[in-house]
Amino acid sequence: MPDQVKISHEELESSGFCENPLFGCLVAEVPEEHKSKEGFTVVGYGLYFYTYSTWRGRALHLEDLYVMPEFRGRGIGKSILSKVAEVAKKMQCARLQLSVLNWNTPSRDFYAAKGAQDLTAAEGWHLIRFDGQSLDNLANDAPKD
Amino acid sequence: MDYSIRAANVEDCKDIARMIMELAEYEKVTEHVKVTQRDLEQDGFSKNPFFHGIIAEVPEQHKSSEGHVKIGYALYFYAYSSWSGRAAYMEDLYVMPDFRGKGIGKALMSKVAQLSLAAGCKQLNFTVLNWNKASLDFYISQGCFDVTEKMGYHCMRCEEEALQNLAQP
Repeated sequence: MPDQVKISHEELESSGFCENPLFGCLVAEVPEEHKSKEGFTVVGYGLYFYTYSTWRGRALHLEDLYVMPEFRGRGIGKSILSKVAEVAKKMQCARLQLSVLNWNTPSRDFYAAKGAQDLTAAEGWHLIRFDGQSLDNLANDAPKD
Repeated sequence: MDYSIRAANVEDCKDIARMIMELAEYEKVTEHVKVTQRDLEQDGFSKNPFFHGIIAEVPEQHKSSEGHVKIGYALYFYAYSSWSGRAAYMEDLYVMPDFRGKGIGKALMSKVAQLSLAAGCKQLNFTVLNWNKASLDFYISQGCFDVTEKMGYHCMRCEEEALQNLAQP
């Protein structure tokens, strides 16, 4: 869904590397001699942020996990995921959460093999969103202070 | 009925903890609640809080049958979408049963939306159980959309032993 990507690398810089960063990110890097055909040595990443469960307390949400196609099948995705889980543990997070598209069978199988529960399938949780005009409308209805 | 909507402070944690349990009873999952008043105080009101709260309060003369004036809350935090940037996630929205039907839930949610927009958020996200038809209908009537239904996203979770195993190198 490339038309959905609206942010720039400048925004990532200002949001992720300021005094109170909005996200954390781990990158997977290969040595120069193994760089990709376009010349990249940074070949994968995991982007996450902290969340809160009023039932269990601190939690971590893994927003993105990605490995460039030519570097897959070598355990890089699994390493990034493990490292993120380590971060979660260090910060005393009780949960690591993420979303997966229902048609993305390889990813669903990957996470299921790691012991992730599918809360949508198992318990009926649906993700709901306000954005654009609907978010503006909702905000305009807020009581005046 | 007169009510006020305001940002939560650390003194509100006792009532927030009470209402968290009431909401868990409504969702039929009280045994899952491990967070205490103390956790809320530490996690919500320190230098880098994990969440923010909004409280709905009524005047003394309208207090609940058990004597509570804090009769609703919303709890939210900031998230990040790698597609659209800063986002807000509303973890809980709750109004005590005796105070429903008066627009208080809507006022709480609108306040979260207002503060989220002011903070530069492009989205306000939350989850609802698919059997909770009353809540789903309410949210859809407010103009949101069901991301799971429309785009096929499933919410996944690792916790306890699965999380421990995942963190092994």
